[in-house]
Amino acid sequence: MNFNIVWAVVVRHLYNFKHSLDRLTDAFYWPAMDIFIWGFTSMYIAKQANQLPQIIIMLLSGVVLWLVVWRAQYEITVNLLEEMWSSNLVNLFASPLRIREWVLAVFILGLIKMIFSVGFSILLALVLYKTNIFSLGFYLIPFIMSLTITGWAVGLFVSGLIIRYGMRIQTFAWGGIALLSPFSGVYYPISTLPLWAQRVAMYVPTSYIFEGMRSVIFKGSMLYGDLVKSFAINIIYMIVGLLFFNLMFKKSKLRGLADLE
Amino acid sequence: MLTNVLEVKNLTKNFGKVCAVNNISFSIKEGEILGLLGSNGAGKTTTIQMLLGTLTPSSGDIYFFNKEFNKNREEILKKINFCSSYIRLPWKMTVYENLDVVARLYEVKDRKKRINKLLDVFDIKEFQNKLVSSLSAGQSMRVILAKAFINFPRLILLDEPTSSLDPEIAEKVRTFLKSEQENFKVSMLFTSHNMAEVESMCARVIFLNKGKIIAEDTPVNLAKEIEISRVDLIVDKNIDRVLEICTENRWEVGIDKPHIKVELKEKDIPRLLSVLNEEKVVYSEISIEKPDLEDFFLEMSKRRNEK
Repeated sequence: MNFNIVWAVVVRHLYNFKHSLDRLTDAFYWPAMDIFIWGFTSMYIAKQANQLPQIIIMLLSGVVLWLVVWRAQYEITVNLLEEMWSSNLVNLFASPLRIREWVLAVFILGLIKMIFSVGFSILLALVLYKTNIFSLGFYLIPFIMSLTITGWAVGLFVSGLIIRYGMRIQTFAWGGIALLSPFSGVYYPISTLPLWAQRVAMYVPTSYIFEGMRSVIFKGSMLYGDLVKSFAINIIYMIVGLLFFNLMFKKSKLRGLADLE
Repeated sequence: MLTNVLEVKNLTKNFGKVCAVNNISFSIKEGEILGLLGSNGAGKTTTIQMLLGTLTPSSGDIYFFNKEFNKNREEILKKINFCSSYIRLPWKMTVYENLDVVARLYEVKDRKKRINKLLDVFDIKEFQNKLVSSLSAGQSMRVILAKAFINFPRLILLDEPTSSLDPEIAEKVRTFLKSEQENFKVSMLFTSHNMAEVESMCARVIFLNKGKIIAEDTPVNLAKEIEISRVDLIVDKNIDRVLEICTENRWEVGIDKPHIKVELKEKDIPRLLSVLNEEKVVYSEISIEKPDLEDFFLEMSKRRNEK
């Protein structure tokens, strides 16, 4: 065994580590997210031990509904990356395609994939755990609508960053939305969070949806005001997302779209 | 009178302090093939990117079909297309799927018919169902060429279109391009490092150096700017006398016995032949090379390096 050669391979990856945001994210970002989310979830579950059946519904509903947000943003950002990976960005935007047409196309694509993905998850939850997400009833429709809009808005924002700074920040494509997750209270009430985080959560539209989800599961209803707040913040997010993506696209064209490939 | 399909006015692109394209103006008429020449980094690809709208110019105006590009982007892009050795197509899709998507983007009527025609023209029918990732460089280039003609473009920007093709296919592509120009008056902006190709394809050439147009004319007239011709001789006797004659007349001479290469002005060639005759220099072979576009290109590159 030649340890100089072994060390050469280690150094090769350490160099890569230094330049790659993906590797840094793997090392710190995801573990931090897991600790935050599952730490708060554990604290909450420990206090609610007498309501185990609802807790199971809440956890599985949280997983499925978070999939809605994630899928909506993922389709936008990863489809943009797909064009970059295959050096197709110039082909696309040297054609008569408008930016708004591209955005609408990835929205539609996101919806189609989300329907299949979420449908499959709902089916799995029903078959494996006898948990029917449809027990959320009518509320499921506004929940999914609101979460989709959040996903699209964040997707546009992250795509704006990617189209401006290129593939070196591609890790945001699948990791960006996770930043909202601890403040959304997907698996625990917002009240479980420290005060400063609760204040942040007030500006996160998904927090109202997941609070509503828990309210429907435990009490059978939710405050309509929370739904309105969620949609209102989403509209602002969406406008900002669209403007930001458009601005970043224009800035990127100053250096040339070919430069991104 | 032929109309301009493209008119570029005072186009400039700066990247920070670097000026990649410096205040260039030119036009292309309907059915004309214009060569855009220059060494690597001269600004050719930057110019093409600005013409495609994927790079924003620092200043200047671009008009296609007498319409301002900025204000009529979609309408114009429907009528033009491009092919570059620097681009690729999505590699996880088959050749046919790629062409189908592009045809949809350009809203081509009767897509299947058009795709099948191009598959034939560019000899790619046999691998239409193969993934782009499995194609060789030459095969990929032919697919990109097919993509470039899918929308019946009235103007096509060709950035080194034959660079990765074998001579037979390259000739086929040139023949196709010529036929498109002659039969449908398709205009082309053509860049290539193959000067013989540019001479055969282009009616007019503009030469870029450090982002500036330093020459613009027909390939023949540009070549004429280079005064030096070459005379190659295979000399059987009096080879030393040839050397003396050349030195006396200040003609550049290179000797690799029995080959002699003399560089002199075209007007001095009769004098050289006459002197050789007078001095009874016997030569078994002679060839005279007049300057061509390649000589012009090399001379311009030499001047650029000297600066």
